[in-house]
Order: sequence, then structure tokens, then C-alpha cells
Amino acid sequence: MVEVGDKLVGYATDDEVRKRGASGGLVTAVLAAALEKGMVESVVVLKHIDEYEAVPIITDDVEEVLASTGSMHSVPVNLAKYAVDRKVAMPGKPCDIKAVIEQSKRNMIDLDNTYLVGLNCGGTMPPVLTKQMLIEMYDIDPEDVVGEDIEKGKLIYRTKDGNEKAISIEELEEAGFGRRKNCQYCQLKIPTNSDLACGNWGVIGDLAGSATFCEVMNEKGKKLIENAVEAGRIEVAPASDKAIAIREKVNGVMVKMGETTQEKVFTQMPDEERLPYYREALADCIDCGGCKLACPVCSCGDDAKCTLFHSLGDNYKMSMFHLVRLLHLSDSCIGCGQCTDVCPVDIPITRIQMSFSIPVQTKLNYKPGMNADEKPPFFEVMIK
Amino acid sequence: MTKQEAITNEEAEELRIGAFICECGVNIAGAVDCNAVADYISTLPNVTTAVVNKYTCSDAGQEEIKKAIKDLDLNRVLVASCTPKTHEPIFRACVEEAGLNPYLFEFVNIREHCSWIHMWEKEDATKKAKELVRMGVARAALLEPLQSSEVPVTNKALVIGAGVTGMQAAMDIGDMGFQVYLVEAGPSIGGKMAQLDKTFPTNDCSICILGPKMVEVNRNPNIEIMSYSEVEEVDGYVGNFDVKVKHKARYVDINLCSGCNSCVEKCPVEVPYWEFNEGIGTRKAVYVPFPQAVPLRALIDKSICIDCGACSKACERGAINMDQEDTFSELEVGVIVVCVGYDVYDPEPNHDFGFGLYDNVITTMEFERLINASGPTMGKVVRPSDVVQPKRIGFVQCVGSRDVNSNIYCSSFCCMASLKNAQLIKEKYPDTEVYIMYMDMRTPFRMYEEFYNRARDMDIHFIRGRPAEVTENEDKNIIARIEDTLTNKIENLELDMMVLSVGAVSPESTEKIRQILKVSRAADGFMMEAHPKLKPVDTTLDGIFIGGMTQGPKDIPYSISQGSACAARATRFLAQGKALTEGITIAVDEDICVGCGVCVPMCPFQALKMDDDGKLEIIKALCKGCGTCAVACPSGALQQSHYKNNQILAQVKEVFAYEEV
Amino acid sequence: MADNNDWEPKIVAFCCNWCSYGGADTAGMGRFQQPASTRVIRVMCSGRIDPLHVYNAFLEGADAVLVTGCHLGDCHYVNGNEKTELKYQFLEEMVKQLGLEPERLYLNWISASEGERFANFINDVTAKVKEIGPSPLKPEGVS
Ligand SMILES: Cc1cc2nc3c(=O)[nH]c(=O)nc-3n(C[C@H](O)[C@H](O)[C@H](O)COP(=O)(O)OP(=O)(O)OC[C@H]3O[C@@H](n4cnc5c(N)ncnc54)[C@H](O)[C@@H]3O)c2cc1C
Ligand SMILES: Cc1cc2nc3c(=O)[nH]c(=O)nc-3n(C[C@H](O)[C@H](O)[C@H](O)COP(=O)(O)OP(=O)(O)OC[C@H]3O[C@@H](n4cnc5c(N)ncnc54)[C@H](O)[C@@H]3O)c2cc1C
Ligand code: SF4
Ligand code: SF4
Ligand code: FES
Repeated sequence: MVEVGDKLVGYATDDEVRKRGASGGLVTAVLAAALEKGMVESVVVLKHIDEYEAVPIITDDVEEVLASTGSMHSVPVNLAKYAVDRKVAMPGKPCDIKAVIEQSKRNMIDLDNTYLVGLNCGGTMPPVLTKQMLIEMYDIDPEDVVGEDIEKGKLIYRTKDGNEKAISIEELEEAGFGRRKNCQYCQLKIPTNSDLACGNWGVIGDLAGSATFCEVMNEKGKKLIENAVEAGRIEVAPASDKAIAIREKVNGVMVKMGETTQEKVFTQMPDEERLPYYREALADCIDCGGCKLACPVCSCGDDAKCTLFHSLGDNYKMSMFHLVRLLHLSDSCIGCGQCTDVCPVDIPITRIQMSFSIPVQTKLNYKPGMNADEKPPFFEVMIK
Repeated sequence: MTKQEAITNEEAEELRIGAFICECGVNIAGAVDCNAVADYISTLPNVTTAVVNKYTCSDAGQEEIKKAIKDLDLNRVLVASCTPKTHEPIFRACVEEAGLNPYLFEFVNIREHCSWIHMWEKEDATKKAKELVRMGVARAALLEPLQSSEVPVTNKALVIGAGVTGMQAAMDIGDMGFQVYLVEAGPSIGGKMAQLDKTFPTNDCSICILGPKMVEVNRNPNIEIMSYSEVEEVDGYVGNFDVKVKHKARYVDINLCSGCNSCVEKCPVEVPYWEFNEGIGTRKAVYVPFPQAVPLRALIDKSICIDCGACSKACERGAINMDQEDTFSELEVGVIVVCVGYDVYDPEPNHDFGFGLYDNVITTMEFERLINASGPTMGKVVRPSDVVQPKRIGFVQCVGSRDVNSNIYCSSFCCMASLKNAQLIKEKYPDTEVYIMYMDMRTPFRMYEEFYNRARDMDIHFIRGRPAEVTENEDKNIIARIEDTLTNKIENLELDMMVLSVGAVSPESTEKIRQILKVSRAADGFMMEAHPKLKPVDTTLDGIFIGGMTQGPKDIPYSISQGSACAARATRFLAQGKALTEGITIAVDEDICVGCGVCVPMCPFQALKMDDDGKLEIIKALCKGCGTCAVACPSGALQQSHYKNNQILAQVKEVFAYEEV
Repeated sequence: MADNNDWEPKIVAFCCNWCSYGGADTAGMGRFQQPASTRVIRVMCSGRIDPLHVYNAFLEGADAVLVTGCHLGDCHYVNGNEKTELKYQFLEEMVKQLGLEPERLYLNWISASEGERFANFINDVTAKVKEIGPSPLKPEGVS
């Protein structure tokens, strides 16, 4: 029997799914089984368009779920808002899961109705930059790519002709490519905040590349696995101590890397330089509101305090819009990078937000997106 | 202009603001050029008229406002004068009489917040006044009419504390026909007055005039005495307070006990009687508070009881009940009167004038018990060290009063109390030498100066000055080194006993009830009235009143007057049977609210809740209009009426200007 | 920067109706003289003071902003001021991060009887702000 806390290695019993799957197709199979057996009404997955593009869909068609295998490293979309007001199961990177949990604190998502299959995540890549990187660094025509992998700190691309090329991520990032900036300092690599934390770290030996490592995080995760086993969609076995140790070790390295990067990126600027920096960075804003819309943590509608008290006519040295957003997300920003991604004038919104959020979250000892029972301090009534 | 302002303005009718600038005699005009303010204000958008009045709050001033509303069709009125804390209700009523919604009135404070604090900077004060009024005009333009609603009033009162003040308040309310719960922390009603011997200025026996009053309170069919009880919780608002009272276990069944003292005689445990006799004399573990106590019932001090069972055996009525537990009552009342009284200043910690070091330095309260015929010495004045009658007694005034090291206020009754006690000694033991060492003798009010003269005629020695040094000699006599500042003579005055005329302090123990009720605390520690002159027994909280020593040091006549005043003020609500609730509440814009619910736990009054469809529901009657929830709301859907974001921000904007005013 | 001796800073003080506004009144009644730097804005409870109001005051040109209310335990709405204190922790950190000097933002509990305390507070803050000069967020041309 499966227990909460179990660490398992498993795969889809359907060979086709297992083969197409990023690791062992287990995630896909678990989601399909949950839908099939009526645990949920629908499933959120990515529908592939090509190697660099995929769109989230909400489906109640098992076939569509089964077709959604594979990890899209260049699709940095956040899935949280697709779970709003639904009884769903969904896969999710650690930041997807964080956002779901923050939404649940704002009454938008009922966690009892939401099954969260977490995916380990070493980071995602911006699609446009990735294509440029393939040309410049890999000398590969982006159209020729059939698959990608991250192994031993290297990013590997496979092409139609059966070749593959690997370059170290460090080298890529030094050249300005590689993972999105926020992923580089993200420090949650294994989604321990999900119901089931899945990934390929710790899949070793014969199974390497054809099985998924998963950790059962809570009762809901247990139910997901049991249901999929019962439905005959997956097979699982306990992970070996060695497998567990390897997973821990890789995770440790990645987290450390994130920490170091964070320290580097957020070195405190001298007092007198900060205001000019923020003002200059935000001066380009064209008021499109994209960052607000894209934020997976915010639950406000079109009108909110950030928009209601902001006007293009203001002659302020900073915009009320950004100041109010900075405040309202200071305790809850999860650093997912969505706002920076959508900004049409390339303002590093995430970085700016995080330079406020990191000190606030540290001061108030709050980690957003981790514990559904812990309220954002701005909404607290009493000082702890 | 923010989006919200745009919306409001679009819908609004043409704005016609009338501004009335008060000179307040010279109080404002002395520092602020009111005409310049009016001239400036009349240039602002939406201002129809700007007028200067000598006294805007006078009849003439108010008439002018009403006339302007009618003649000029004003739809907003602004008064720039003193503080809204006292005058807002007056002007709201005034505009209402002229047919304007009272919430379309805006108050600007240019006296307390301007002329009085910039008295010698006329230019600055005038400029600031212009800006303050400009802020008010901007806010006035955005004001919206509000309706306050009527709530029914529970026609019962709660009086907390049954000293002479609380007794008076309870009796007056009861006599007016309303039911009163009189909650007293001690085992008997009566308060400090029950401990006193005689009372100035007539020197009639304190308990002889208080005792009958206590009996009267007990007999009043409208008063329910809850002795040995304390208020634990208070919820609600004027007209509808829910009160939880704890009745402490007496371990004696109050319905069976007759106060016969049989148990007391048998009880083997004896301790100094601090609570009533200031530690002079003793009481048993089971005791009846004092002979005139109401209720005249025994109680057991469990902290010293040895459970020997002697009392149970002695009591023929079977009233002793060692298993008794604290019980609780839930009361519903419309008004609350607080008369929890005072403590005397404790000279022990600082050893003022040798108190606590030398046996024969005592306080006036101890003296009251000593000279009291029904006190522990049967009225025989003896000194503590050898129980001998002192031949030379000195009173030191202002101990714990008028002193930067303890309390800076004057306790007001202690000059008279020492004059009284000095006279009593002279009457009882005419050959005693009596000294009063004072800074000033303070004897206002009817018959008080005469009382002082009488003391002088009785050959009591007055020394203007207080001991610089106090020592004790081998006979335990007190040597007070004192300079008479009238004669500049320094002498070493040898006394058999010295009495410190201690002042009053607000007891630590009343802090709890103050916080439960949320009554403000003044700088001197006593509870604070709504206004020092105009509302001396009101608090800033509707339906809650304070009287007697609770509000600061005073003597019995003044205390009783305040008790009656509290009763009168409180009964207004009971008699009308209804009260107006605040029109300022919270409202939700349902188009904006997304139902995140973060506001719900913010409300301390449970006025917000999410309904089954995940929509926010507001229970208006519970909302007290603090606006805290509106701050938490990230979407801006919650708006506190009268303090809407755009109203506040409009004021903020007008603090600043681009051109010199 | 203007000559700081002539320059009078503009300070926005948010006061709760029950305590700190009363404190400002009491300062007036006691004739405790203060520089004409401060403009009081009344709200019912300090809990109503939205960080957004504070930001707005800075953006409009405030050289300092004061968040004031009743002493803890004395709020007329049970614990509005405790909530204020929490929100203030955000403000403080945000203002610091923005690069505004800490001398520009204050939280202070003042009872209705503490007139002298109110006046001292205004005197102190005004002196401190005069020392550091106008706020870098003040729009051009604003007085
Ligand atoms: C961007 C990214 C980075 C990753 N980095 C690591 C890593 O460093 N170490 C590690 O151990 N594992 C990593 N993984 C997880 C790993 O690639 C597999 O997804 C996981 O092992 C599950 O394998 P599977 O075969 O069971 O999944 P599959 O059955 O293939 O199912 C994959 C599921 O992931 C969803 N998905 C695909 N792309 C995304 C995306 N961009 N965002 C959200 N959902 C998506 C699909 O819709 C599908 O439901 C990463 C995954 C992603 C998406
Ligand atoms: C030495 C001395 C001599 C004096 N002589 C004179 C004099 O001759 N003439 C004169 O006019 N004045 C005199 N006074 C002043 C006089 O004592 C007071 O003016 C008067 O007693 C005030 O009455 P009160 O009811 O306000 O307070 P108190 O007498 O203190 O009554 C308060 C009551 O409230 C109760 N209580 C306290 N807390 C609570 C609670 N939480 N819940 C319920 N009940 C509570 C107390 O137990 C007490 O019964 C003298 C004072 C002193 C110290
Ligand atoms: S304003 Fe809001 S928090 Fe305050 S009492 Fe009303 S509903 Fe409750
Ligand atoms: S906080 Fe605002 S948006 Fe959220 S439920 Fe309350 S009123 Fe609605
Ligand atoms: S009423 Fe003053 S802080 Fe709440």
C-alpha cells in the first residue's frame, strides 16, 4: 500500500505513453486515471503546437490527456488560474503549485477539489531567446529539434537526424541565454507543496529515461497514486536508497545555485541609487496592465486598488499602479516571472517586485505558496 | 482625477459649496486672517460663497448657514472653526434643519490645529488655514448623503462600582423607573465612604449618612445588586450591550446566610484586615465585611482558609458551601455607567516622609479607621508603636499629589480631610497639639473656607512648608525638620505621630474594565471624559458614562452630583427607547468584489461574512464604521462611507499646491 | 535643495478620530506651539489608514507621513491599531527599499490627552525632515 511520504519510481503501463512521456509517462497516466475514475471533472494539460509553443487546455477527454505527454521547457506559462472554480487535476511546476496555493488563500480555488501533480523544475526558458540560442550557440535550426533534456548541468537538444548536442547551462546563461532570469534564482526545485512531486532526478540504472520518480506529499497524492494503480494505468515500486540520495543531492546543488544567484542578483544597491533605479526602470511603462493580468497570485478583477487610484494624468515621480502592486504582492509574490514575460517594453518587473518581496517576506517570515493554512501577512489580523 | 472621482463627478449634480469661516472671537482671528482665507476660498471651484463669522456656532451664525442653504441653494456646507469632536454634531444638526443631509457637511479645524498652535506666526497660520480649508473644499465636493439608522434600546442600565457615586447613579436611574444592575467588585456596596469616620464640612458621621442610603439601594425594587461580582466581557453598542458578569464564589450561600456572625466567632484563622481597616485590627478567614454591609452576608477568604469545618458546624442555617464555584450571568443593557472609584496613594514604595520605616507615620485613611467609633480601636486614637494615645500629631499635606515625582495633579479632598481630622482630634482630645504642614490650603466651595477658619479658631497650628527630613528618636517619636516659609523659621518638630494626607490614584485594578469598555485613559491615569467642560460625565463612546473618582479626584458632594449626572445622561437613551447608529459604515461594490474574503477576519465585530455563493455579505447593524476591512481589500471593492479612498486622497492632493496661496 | 532654514516641509499626518486627532486638539487647547508643517487628515480609526494613502501622500509631495492612532489596547474598534501596526511593517520595509530616508515615515500612538506629546512629535519630525530636505518623490513645482 502507498503511504504519505513514500518515494516511488514508476511508469505508465501504456508503452506508448511511457515512451512519449518526459520520463516514464507517469504524470500523464495519473492525470488520465483521475479523470477516468471521476476523481475530478476535468484535467489541465498543455496541448503541444511545436517544440516552443503549447497552450494550456482544460479537458474532460481522456485521449486528449494521454496525448499531452512531455515536458515543455520553453513554455513558461503559469497554469494556476485554469484551476479556478473547477474540480480539476493538473500538472504543475513548483511555481504553478505555489500560485494555486496562493489562489486558494483568496477563496478562488478549493484545494479539496484540486489535485496537484507537481513536476520538478530546473527552470524554463523563454521561447524566442531559445530559438536564437539554438542558432547562435548550438548551430541548430530550431525547426529541426525533436527533443530536449537537462542532464548533469547540461542542456541537450536532439535533432531530426538523430544527433544531439549538449552545452553546459552555466555557459549558456553566461552568454545571456538559458533559463529565464527568475528561474535562475528560484529555490524550489522539487514541488514539495504539491500532492505528488514528480521528476526524473533519482531515476537511475536501466530505468533512466523511462520512469518517473515521485514522492507522495499528502493524502491527496496517495489517492492519486492508488487510483492510477487500481485503474491499471501505472506501476510503481519503492525507490532505492541510492535513487533517493541522488535526487536529494541534485536538488541540493540546484537549490544552492539558486541561492547564490539570488544573492548576486539582489545585492542591495546603495540607498541613494535605489529610487532613481526604480523610477528609471518603471518610466517606460505604457500602462498596458499586462503584468497585473498575468500575475497568477493576484485574484482581483479588472478594477483593483492598483488601477483605481492610478491615472495617466498624474505627474507623479512613480506610478500609483506600480507602487500599489509592489505593496500588494510584497508578501505574496512567488517570483514566477510571468509579469516580466508579458511586459511589452521589457521592464524587469519580477526582479523589481522581488527586490521588495524578498526583504518583506524575510522580515515577516512568510513563504508564499507553501502552506495553504498560512495567511499572507497583509491579511493577518494580529501580529504573530 | 482618478477614475473613481470621474465616476462620482459625472453622476453628481452641480456642486454648490458654502464655506463659513469662524473667527471665534479672537481665538482664530488672532492668528488667522479670516477674510484672506474667505477671499482665497471663494476662488476655488465649486465654492458658491465664502463667509466670515464672528462665531459661526452662535445662533446668528447658524441662522446665516441655514439662510445661505436656502437662498443660494447650497448642497454642501463647510465650516472652518474649532474641533469636530465638540461641534460637528451641532453643525450637522444645523444643516439638517435647513434640509441638507447632515453628512454633506464638512468640518475644518483651524483653531486647535492652526490658530492656537501658530499663535505668533500670523502669515504661516493664515497660509495653513487656507490650505486646510482648500483640503476641506475638495473633500466636501466628494461627500455623499448618508442615512443613520435607529436602533431600539434595551431599557435597562448597568452601573459598575457601588461606591457612593455608583449608588447614587443606580438609585436615580431606578427611581426613574428603569431596571439597574449594580455590579460591585467587593463583598459589600458602599465604597471608600464606608471607611470614613466623619465627613466634611459638617462632620456628620459618614456611615450614619451612607448606611441608610445603602439600605435604600438594597430596597429599591428596580435595583439588582450583584456584589462580589465583576464585569468580564462587554459587546455591542449603545442601546444593545451584551455584558457577561462573573459572580465570585463567596463559599457562603447568600440566600441562607443572615450575617449573624456565629461562624466568624468559631473560625480559628485570623489575619490583618487590610481591605476595610487598612491593616489595623484583624478579620477571620470567614467574615462579614462590616456591621452595616449590604448585603449583610459572610464570605470566606479561601486563600487562608484551612478547611477545618468550624464554620459549617457553627452555622445553624447550613449556609456554608465550600464547593461553591464562580458563576456567570449574561445581561442585556442599553447603557453603562462606570463608577469604579479610586485608591489612596501608597507612600510605602518611596518611603515618603519615613512611611514604612517608622511605625508612627501613618496615612489619613488609617487615621480615619483609628478615630472611627466603630473602627478597630473603637475610636480610640493610639499610635502603632506602643498603642498609646499621641499628644502631638502632625498632618503632612499633598503626599502623592502636586509632586512631579508622583502625581502632578491636586487630589482636591485631602486639605479638607486633614482639616476635618484635625478638628476631630481637638474635639475628642482637646489637649492634643495638632499641626498641619501644607503647601497651600485649598478650600473652595460652600462652607469649606468657613471650615478652615473654624480649624484655625480651634488652635490648630498651621505651618506653611513640608518636612525636609524626617527621623525617629529612641522613643519612636517622629522628628520633622521643617521650615515655615511664612516666618522663614526652621525647626525640628517632635511629634508622637505623623499622618500623611495621601491623595487619590486610579487603581491598577480598574484598568481591566477600562480596556473592556475601551474608555480612554487620561494622562493622570483616571478615565477620560468626552469633554472637560461640556461633557464631564460622557465618554467618547455612546451610551457609556463615567462618574465620581473614576473620572478624577473629588469629594463626596461632587461625586454624588456626578452620579446623578450620569443617571440623567444615561436615562435619556432609556427614556427615548431608541438611539441613532452611525451612518458611517462599510459598503461593497459588487462589480468589483471578487469574493476573496480576506476582509472577513479583519472585522472585529463580525459584520462581514461570505454567503453560500461566495459573495460578501455585510451586516450593517454590526458595522461600527472603522474602515479597517477596506484597507485589507486588495480590489478596492470595500469602501467606508464618508471616508472613501477618493475622499481621503482628494484631501491629500490639496495639501499641496503648484502656486503660492 | 532650498535653504533649509526658510524651507518649511509638508507633512501629512493621518489621525484616528478617537485618540490622535484628539491629541492634536489637546495640543491646541494647551497652546503647545508647533511649526506650520503638518496637515492632519482625520479617519475614524488608524486601521483605516491604507498604505495606499501613504504612498499617495508621498507621490503628491509629502516630505514625511505620520501614521497615528490610539495606544495599543485603546483602539475604539478593538484592535484596529494592531492591524495598522502590521500594515506599517510593510510600509516601513517598502519605503526603505524604495530608497526614501527612514526619517520620512512614522508610526506613533498618541492618546487624546497627550497634547504635549503630539506637539513634541510634530516638532521633532519637522526638525528631522528639515535636516534631510525635500522628499525625492516630490513632483516638480509643488510646494
Ligand atoms: C520546464 C520543466 C523543467 C523540468 N526540469 C526538471 C528537472 O530539472 N529535474 C527533474 O527531475 N525533472 C524536471 N522536470 C520534470 C520532468 O521533465 C517530467 O515532467 C517529470 O519527470 C514527469 O515525467 P512524466 O513522463 O511522468 O511526465 P509526462 O507524462 O510526460 O507529463 C508531463 C506533464 O507535464 C505538463 N507540462 C509539460 N510542460 C509543462 C510546462 N512547461 N509547464 C507546466 N506543465 C507542463 C504536461 O502537460 C504533462 O501533463 C521538468 C519539467 C518541466 C515542465
Ligand atoms: C482619607 C480620606 C478622607 C476623605 N474624607 C472625605 C470627607 O470627609 N468628605 C468628602 O466629601 N470626601 C471625603 N473623601 C473623598 C471620598 O472618599 C470620595 O469622594 C468618595 O468616596 C468617592 O466615591 P466613589 O463612589 O467615586 O469611589 P469609591 O468609594 O472608591 O467607590 C468605588 C466602588 O467601585 C468598586 N469597584 C472598583 N472596581 C470595580 C470593578 N472593576 N467592578 C465593580 N466594582 C468595582 C469598589 O469596590 C468601590 O466599592 C475622603 C477620602 C479620603 C481618602
Ligand atoms: S468598517 Fe469593516 S471592519 Fe470596521 S466595523 Fe465595519 S465591517 Fe467591520
Ligand atoms: S477583500 Fe475586497 S475583493 Fe476580497 S472579498 Fe472582501 S470586498 Fe471582496
Ligand atoms: S480608533 Fe484610534 S486606532 Fe482605532
